Amino acid sequence: MPSLNFTLNGKATRVDADNHTLLVDLLRGPLALTGTHQGCDTAQCGCCTVLLDGESVKACSMLALQVQGRAVTTVEGLAKQDGTLHPVQEAFIACHGLQCGFCTPGMMMSATCLLQRNPQPTDAQIEDALEGNLCRCTGYVNIVAAVKQAGAVMAGGAQ
Amino acid sequence: MNAPLETARFGSGAVVRRIEDPALVRGQGRYTDDVTLPGQAWLAFLRSDRAHARINSIDTDSARALPGVLAIYTGADLLAAGVKAIPVPPSFKQPGGQPMSTAPKLALAHEFVRFVGEAVVAIVADSRDAAKAAVNAVMVDYEDLPAVSDAQRATALGAPLVWAGAPGNIVAESRHGDAAATEAAFAQAACRVALDIVNQRLAPVTMEPRSVLACTGEGRLTLRMSSQMPSGVRNSLADIVPGCTKDNVRVVVGDVGGGFGMKTGIYPEDVVVAWAALQLGRPVKWQAERVEDFLAAVHGRSQISHAELALDAQGHVLALRVRTLANVGAYPSGTSLAIPLLIGPWVSTSIYHVPVVSMQISGVLTHNAPTGAYRGAGRPEAIYIMERLLDAAAREMKLDSAELRRRNMVKPTQMPYRNAMGQVYDSGQFERILDQGLLLADWAGFDTRRAATGAKGKLRGRGIATFLEWTGGNALEENVRVDVTADGFIEITSATMAMGQGIATSYVQLAHDVFGVPLERIRVLQGDTDRANGFGSAGSRSLFTGGAAVRVASEKTVDEGKKLAGEALEAPAGDIEYQAGRFTVAGTDLSIGLFDLAQRQGGGRLTVSASATAAAPSWPNGCHVAEVEIDPATGDVQVVAYASVNDIGRIVSPTIVQGQVEGGAVQGIGQALCEQVVYDADSAQLLSASFMDYALPRVDGFRAFKTAFDQSVPCLTNTLGAKGVGELGTIGATPAVVNAVVDALARTGLGRRAEQVQMPLTAEVVWRALRGEFAPPLNLPA
Repeated sequence: MPSLNFTLNGKATRVDADNHTLLVDLLRGPLALTGTHQGCDTAQCGCCTVLLDGESVKACSMLALQVQGRAVTTVEGLAKQDGTLHPVQEAFIACHGLQCGFCTPGMMMSATCLLQRNPQPTDAQIEDALEGNLCRCTGYVNIVAAVKQAGAVMAGGAQ
Repeated sequence: MNAPLETARFGSGAVVRRIEDPALVRGQGRYTDDVTLPGQAWLAFLRSDRAHARINSIDTDSARALPGVLAIYTGADLLAAGVKAIPVPPSFKQPGGQPMSTAPKLALAHEFVRFVGEAVVAIVADSRDAAKAAVNAVMVDYEDLPAVSDAQRATALGAPLVWAGAPGNIVAESRHGDAAATEAAFAQAACRVALDIVNQRLAPVTMEPRSVLACTGEGRLTLRMSSQMPSGVRNSLADIVPGCTKDNVRVVVGDVGGGFGMKTGIYPEDVVVAWAALQLGRPVKWQAERVEDFLAAVHGRSQISHAELALDAQGHVLALRVRTLANVGAYPSGTSLAIPLLIGPWVSTSIYHVPVVSMQISGVLTHNAPTGAYRGAGRPEAIYIMERLLDAAAREMKLDSAELRRRNMVKPTQMPYRNAMGQVYDSGQFERILDQGLLLADWAGFDTRRAATGAKGKLRGRGIATFLEWTGGNALEENVRVDVTADGFIEITSATMAMGQGIATSYVQLAHDVFGVPLERIRVLQGDTDRANGFGSAGSRSLFTGGAAVRVASEKTVDEGKKLAGEALEAPAGDIEYQAGRFTVAGTDLSIGLFDLAQRQGGGRLTVSASATAAAPSWPNGCHVAEVEIDPATGDVQVVAYASVNDIGRIVSPTIVQGQVEGGAVQGIGQALCEQVVYDADSAQLLSASFMDYALPRVDGFRAFKTAFDQSVPCLTNTLGAKGVGELGTIGATPAVVNAVVDALARTGLGRRAEQVQMPLTAEVVWRALRGEFAPPLNLPA
């Protein structure tokens, strides 16, 4: 079985992975990071979104071996080491941007990708960034509000 | 220990952060598939790729020889082992009065398959990949049989039968009201309107697909799964699987990634996974792929109706007449029949005084997936019919649509009001809600906005829905256990089920009202049939039944604590006062902490159970107003304004109820504009089996909600004064948005012809309507 070396949530990680293992299955299985969810089989729902070198990607659509030598951030890597929540996590709570919580990790990773680049996005830019993430509970209202609030905090240098 | 006391109020009515959220945003939720047990095997299903076929033979030899395969089960295997069919209560009758008859709802198909996606073979292997590979190696010899894909075709003369025991494919029928009196009312009416109404088939789509993990040990079977009704699943397993009893089966539910009614009763897959774990003596997991949920989780709605309303010259409704075919798929259930045959009719007159009704509803078998509960379950369909009819009548009589509604609303002086179906409303000030709704929506300013839209070359329309819903599922009693523990926690144990609606937060707020201790000292335990059993969560019932029980049990705990504190402090219980975690002898400085008192009890905990029973369902209601813009070049519809005023009685968690109404409304908008389960008309193959084909609302839809609540009309039949909220937005949004689109179309000169449009109002449907093209009228059997 090929050996895979990459950075996972800031830590050097070495793990064996089959050629055909998907990144999402590696994360949820051997690496036991179950915060990355799987909600469909056609790369549409976005529940499995993670950051790869800072870019949001759907972990169901990548082979594990494709992250060789690269940096992956999952929802478990959003908060600081001391447990302090990331502004995006804070804002999702404050704005009631989640209900059942299943889409939430993927939503937050897509939002984080956007805000790291552009902390004060327009509605259209938020829609564009979250187009690949489905939510059935919130109607997206409070998710968009949360992204804006998190962006304001990040732009203010709180992060 | 002494818990730090806190006087700040976080109780009912206060805006608080949900206690569920910190774990969920950290990715520390515990959904079923997040749990992996040592030695866990995987189960995968071979599903029918035919809508209707005879199974001549199943060849599993090649599959059995593949690496990792542990077991293969067919329908014949399960029957031989004594696994029973999932029972269907014979609650309804056939049209001729004979008892219902249905095809046995087997965990795995036997001899026949009756819808695409029906589970035929189950394979357990030591990995998911091995199980799926083995599924692909099974050979089934099918003999294709003719299939029917919709209710109209199924009830046509000579249609293929889904089940020989249901002639004409009508499995059950109900008639309500007074047909002769309705006919007489229509005969003398000044205005009569009639509409064909399609409530298209929908997929509930929880973001977390179904998931089951079964394991055995110490003579017991434990199922960890995603369910709204763990006790119901446990009880069903005891009925179905040999050797299972209510005592030796435990159902455990962790975080649930959305329910919406779809995760209520037992599914065939649950039975198979349980059976496999019992046979193999090792943990077995099945995780539904999205396509499996589209194929074989219940669908919702799927009703077509011809509906008529009779009014006098002043616009007072005289009678309502509805003929409905409900496509319940191949295997009906008690729920799937009750939704169209009973629950919908109960609310069919809505908030209006309708003297007489006549309804005939047929449950029709087709080669579709079974239907079941989906957010609203019968009420969205019935309310949609009434709200469409009222708009048609307003157009016919050239009356303002809000004014026509006002003239027909049940008055507060008529409460308690018994509707034509015998349902009794305890409270409601519908005109008051209407007035606020019109104000919030700036009803009077519509013409100005319409002119502005017109200047952009677009069409603008306005739609209103004023309505109510029945809640509670007729399961109005709940029991709650309170445990005060020596280590400083209050545990609330309930059989209601969290599924994303934040019920734990609401319970904690209610318990805080009574105990006055910090929220983080109060925990809610749900989802374990070894701890609590009951109906579960559905039908917008949890707060006004379970929440009421939380309050009663909390108060009883304090009363019990006063007695024990009296003994501890050597004072009469009547002299003991309780405040914020401390019992004090009145007028003295003698006191003992709540948790210290628990320490003195056996086992270090003070335990009190109590029940609360609502006297009747609650009747939440609202006024929802939508405005849309249509691009005439493309037919694209955008919801540009949505204002709602909602009476849900007393509110415990303001943030949560707003999220429920607005999130629910987007589901209702989904039905109005984009969602539809589509079966091929000839082959009955499912054409909408992925998110690329089934159009779920996405983030680029509408967001500018104006949502308000009027708390001045508490529910009178439960101690909280609360009314259900979970389904309200979904029920109101669909008619409000469709009425707005029809309004915009009618104003183009189409007039009442625009009322022929049927959901979902996709760009194509609207574009064609603008050119006078509509779907053919329905042709329902007598």
